[in-house]
Amino acid sequence: MARSLFLAIAALGLLAALGTVLARNLVRAALHLVAFFFCVACLFVMLEAEFLAAVQVLIYIGAVAILLMFGIMLTRNAATAEADLSGGWRVPGVIAGLCVFAALAFGINNAVSPSGSGAWSAIVARPALEPAEGVAWKAERSRAIDDMPRVVGEQFMTRYALAFELAGLLLTAALVGAVALAREEPAPGDSEPATAVEAEAAVGTTP
Amino acid sequence: MDVGTALIAQSHRVDLSPTTAIVWALWLLVGFAGIFPGIVAYMVWLERKVAARFQDRIGPNRVGPFGLLQPIADAIKLIVKESIVPRPADGLVHLLAPVIVLASAFLTLAVVPFAVGLVPIDPPSGLVYLIAVSSLSPLGIFLAGWSSRNKYSLIGAMRAVAQLVSYEIPQVLATIPVVLWAGSLSLVSIFDHQAKFGWNAFTPPGLLAFAIFLIAGVAEVNRTPFDIPEAESEIIAGYHTEYSGMRFGLFFLAEYLGVFAISCVATVLFLGGGMPLPFSSFPVNLIDGSVGSYILADAILLAVFLAKVLLFIFAMFWVRATLPRMRIDRLMNFAWKYLVPLCVLNILFAAAWFEVVVRPGRIEAGRWAVGMIGVGLLTAAGVQLVFWANRKLAAAAPIDADWPAGGAARGG
Repeated sequence: MARSLFLAIAALGLLAALGTVLARNLVRAALHLVAFFFCVACLFVMLEAEFLAAVQVLIYIGAVAILLMFGIMLTRNAATAEADLSGGWRVPGVIAGLCVFAALAFGINNAVSPSGSGAWSAIVARPALEPAEGVAWKAERSRAIDDMPRVVGEQFMTRYALAFELAGLLLTAALVGAVALAREEPAPGDSEPATAVEAEAAVGTTP
Repeated sequence: MDVGTALIAQSHRVDLSPTTAIVWALWLLVGFAGIFPGIVAYMVWLERKVAARFQDRIGPNRVGPFGLLQPIADAIKLIVKESIVPRPADGLVHLLAPVIVLASAFLTLAVVPFAVGLVPIDPPSGLVYLIAVSSLSPLGIFLAGWSSRNKYSLIGAMRAVAQLVSYEIPQVLATIPVVLWAGSLSLVSIFDHQAKFGWNAFTPPGLLAFAIFLIAGVAEVNRTPFDIPEAESEIIAGYHTEYSGMRFGLFFLAEYLGVFAISCVATVLFLGGGMPLPFSSFPVNLIDGSVGSYILADAILLAVFLAKVLLFIFAMFWVRATLPRMRIDRLMNFAWKYLVPLCVLNILFAAAWFEVVVRPGRIEAGRWAVGMIGVGLLTAAGVQLVFWANRKLAAAAPIDADWPAGGAARGG
């Protein structure tokens, strides 16, 4: 049951990812991307990580995809927003995609870990996925599920603090850059920024 | 008190037994397919009546007694009307858009605890789920405007996304004090917390958060004075200009369902759900495990809950009938210059309240009084500070600088 469900969701996700790459219309491509994000959220639910699923939907569909579409809308003619990846850019695009894939595959397979500590799967504060015997395992498991926001928050503030702060810095830099780009040269004595553009750029900081 | 809260503080883990399946099927069939659309239909009737009274008219009174059959007539009209899709429209997306908006409104209701045990699902991260599914509706609105190939639709969609995304931030930030005090993201736990510590709206930071949540909530469901995405005097009907028949009906249903959902969520988060008294867990402590006590307590809780929700709904109709529409730049200014700084300050005040009152684990009169005075003064000072800073900023700008036809006419 769970396996066939997983295969169905994974197949749908792959189809949606293919649609993202192959769609000619940019908004349709973004819509396929939304479907893909949703499939990832479904996979999180299957792993009993509802918190991550909700955050996935919130950040990737609610913020990133909307921002993406807003970007398409503001920069191109909406009705005929065709993807114009011309021949010259195709090969570098494929290479970049393969590099990201390799980095992710390398990272997910526990090939690296900080010096002095074991593999990631050995030190994570979460009981094993395989069902074990006894009431203790069940209690521990349900506590892990109920406490997921707390665990994720603690990991962010301790183990992944640097990555977390770097991401925040990056988003702030992007925000400041967007405001600097979008802001017209202000008249002397006029200190009010272009509100709508600022508002829209600030959305990037919500994740 | 403790008996009741212990009874409802059950595990979030649900076993997929046949009983659960039957309960969920009942929720889907009776609740989501029957009662909620029925409530929406009569909300429309109520709104027409209320708005009519505000405008010194009578309102619908032809179909049935007091016009009570009017929603049914409206529904039949919408269903039999021809659904026209513009020729250049993107067919699939045009169909998908109202479905996404409606699904978002329905999914929001899935975590609302109406009474003890009367909650469709109770995930441990219910509030994040709530925010996540309600963030789907800008996507549907955007797609509706984009797929219609109509300039008015597109303008409406852009306005809608800018507004919804901006007001989502104060709305989410306003729920943080509640989460902080309850120590949980589950709406059932938040209800339990209020059974122990009194309604969240009766604390100084809670009151501020409640006000911000309500304002942002009205903006999230696109109602006056925040209805610029569908401002009919400017852009026809905004993103649903090109929708007719039942597809328009779905948008209509979603809008009123959104009003109902936001009222339910505000009731649960800030007004203690269905509890009739602010500092007593009155109907919950009646529960002694017998079926009769459950039915009695749940009947009281449900009745009070619906009364509170009706109050919110009426307030929204009232606002709609009396206030004019805000201009888009002032709307954005209000979200980013007032609500967001207030929310951020409010989180600090909420932390102070947590240390003073919630930390000991039970409510004590002395600490409560200290908290009310100390944190209350702090909160009032914070509100003053934000308004003072904004007044200073506004005074520094030339007069009429924010008025498009004024001296410093700029885009944006």
